[in-house]
Amino acid sequence: MSDQRQAWFARVVESGLQNDIFNPSDVLAHATPDVLANHLPPDLLSKVLTASLAAGSMTPERVLETVTPELLARHLPHEVLWSCIAAAAARAGVTNVVVS
Amino acid sequence: MNIKAFFVDALSSALELRIGTPDDVLRHVTPDVLAQHLPRPLWARLLTACLGAPRVDAQLVVDTVGVPNLCEHIPTSIIWACIAELGARALGKPIETPAAVVAAASQPVKSVLAPPPEIVKPTATPARGTPVAIGPSIPKPTPARGMPAQSEPDVVAPPDERPATTGSLRSRTPTGQRFRQSGGSNVRTLGGVTRRPQAAAATVPAVKPKRSEPTDYETETAVEAADWREKEIVVDDEQLVDWQADPGSAVSSAITGDDDFSDLGNRKR
Repeated sequence: MSDQRQAWFARVVESGLQNDIFNPSDVLAHATPDVLANHLPPDLLSKVLTASLAAGSMTPERVLETVTPELLARHLPHEVLWSCIAAAAARAGVTNVVVS
Repeated sequence: MNIKAFFVDALSSALELRIGTPDDVLRHVTPDVLAQHLPRPLWARLLTACLGAPRVDAQLVVDTVGVPNLCEHIPTSIIWACIAELGARALGKPIETPAAVVAAASQPVKSVLAPPPEIVKPTATPARGTPVAIGPSIPKPTPARGMPAQSEPDVVAPPDERPATTGSLRSRTPTGQRFRQSGGSNVRTLGGVTRRPQAAAATVPAVKPKRSEPTDYETETAVEAADWREKEIVVDDEQLVDWQADPGSAVSSAITGDDDFSDLGNRKR
């Protein structure tokens, strides 16, 4: 069940990005640097930093190129991802419900 | 922003990964919601599948309609409510749904499967023989205690054919025993009032139909008047016909002894 839930959150985040329900900035508004730093494993943090250094900048898009939705769902608390999804849905006007 | 594609992905993956079940979907996408929003061709497909399936359940509905069609036609607020429930359940949290959203989602809608509104029957000229209610203010006649209802006709019609009100503007002639049922003891009467046993009606002597007597005669030659036999008619000689003028005809019309005059009176008429 945990793997399935993780896969589902990964798929929902990926779909949200693909369908412009939210953008990488929205994701990082919830998956803050503090959250990332406390939950991503060291090798993944290293990759993020390496990619940013190579490109010369660190942008939300570049972070999510390295930390894919699948990795987000694997390492971050799902509540964080869900808050991003729910907030985007609220912005889209489909609901007033915001699950914190 | 393609919110519907996002919903398709979220819902499809939830079903694939067993985050949610078709029952979860149909808890939000109720049959009434489907009836209101699903296009008729999809309804036709769904009905065909249900008729051909040995068991109809939420799985069949979702599989037949398809998640893309659900997300395409069902309001996004309802689809989102379903996804939000799945997300909250995945997180182990109860979802806080405002009352307004709940009311909007579960608002009773007018179903197409509901019976159509009652047809208002025209109150114009009723058909011949149809009992007509005298008026709304006239109470329904109730038989007196211990007395049979006098206004009821003797003909016992089936319950469906009995009018709601027995008041009739036109006196109805009993049509023989056409509507009488064979089982007299089980006959239901209006309002459940059981008819008391009645004595056999006395045999009414047959009344010979009164023949209309002519009183006025339009012509003087009316044979109905009997007094013409008593009058003596004056005839001039010029009006007499000489029957002997044509011998041939006289022979052919001659009266012989073989002629039968017994029915002379009948011939006259």
